[in-house]
Amino acid sequence: MTNQPTRDRPSGFGNPWLQLVLSVACVFVSELLLKRGATDVAEPDSAFSWTGINGLVSPLVWWAILLITASFISWLYVLRYIPITLAYPLSRVVDVLVPLGCWIFLGEFISTLRWCGIALVVIGLALVAKPVAQIGKRL
Amino acid sequence: MSLLAFSLIVISLLSFVAAQLVLKRAMELSAKSGLRHPRYIWLATLGVALMTISFFITLGLLQRFDLSYLYPFQGLSVIFITLMAAVILKERLNLRLTIGALLISAGIVLVSLS
Repeated sequence: MTNQPTRDRPSGFGNPWLQLVLSVACVFVSELLLKRGATDVAEPDSAFSWTGINGLVSPLVWWAILLITASFISWLYVLRYIPITLAYPLSRVVDVLVPLGCWIFLGEFISTLRWCGIALVVIGLALVAKPVAQIGKRL
Repeated sequence: MSLLAFSLIVISLLSFVAAQLVLKRAMELSAKSGLRHPRYIWLATLGVALMTISFFITLGLLQRFDLSYLYPFQGLSVIFITLMAAVILKERLNLRLTIGALLISAGIVLVSLS
């Protein structure tokens, strides 16, 4: 991918918007895997466990680390093509997805206040994302 | 919260914001000059180093405070990165984007407080 001209916006798998989605998806899945993995191998009585290193026993934690690495690479690719004033706020959709994922997949409880926070993030995302279609055309 | 803890939270946030801006600049450069350009390598290394500093300070803070207490500060990163990108990287910032970023930050704070 060296010396790739920016005037030709990559399409297909190289589409930066697709990479942004992939980056967010990787972070989302990795957070759920980390929580599940860390809970599976938790040893609250052990003094050593506060370092979190004992979490490495869980295969789920390793899958999460793999996904975090993949998301970082995707993110660098996104930064190459998309203004960070757009890309970063949009990437915070993960702050909505993670609580929703905890609710759906991990059976955690979401309070009214938390639903309100999720709604605010969604409205903010909609405001940021609306002009994206036009900017995407100009890239 | 002690002054030390507050300072660490601020340093962690600032190094995260700085890392994102430096990485953005690095990737822009790579699009023009390729991945072997010395300035790209320097910026990318600086970006990763700043992220690492932020990560370990956060890890240290997490041992002393609840995640729900620390996470709202992470939410502020949306505002800081958007503003700093406009000022330092000269990216265009309109009212809609600013209000959007403020709402996202407010939402993250509410999610963390609840």
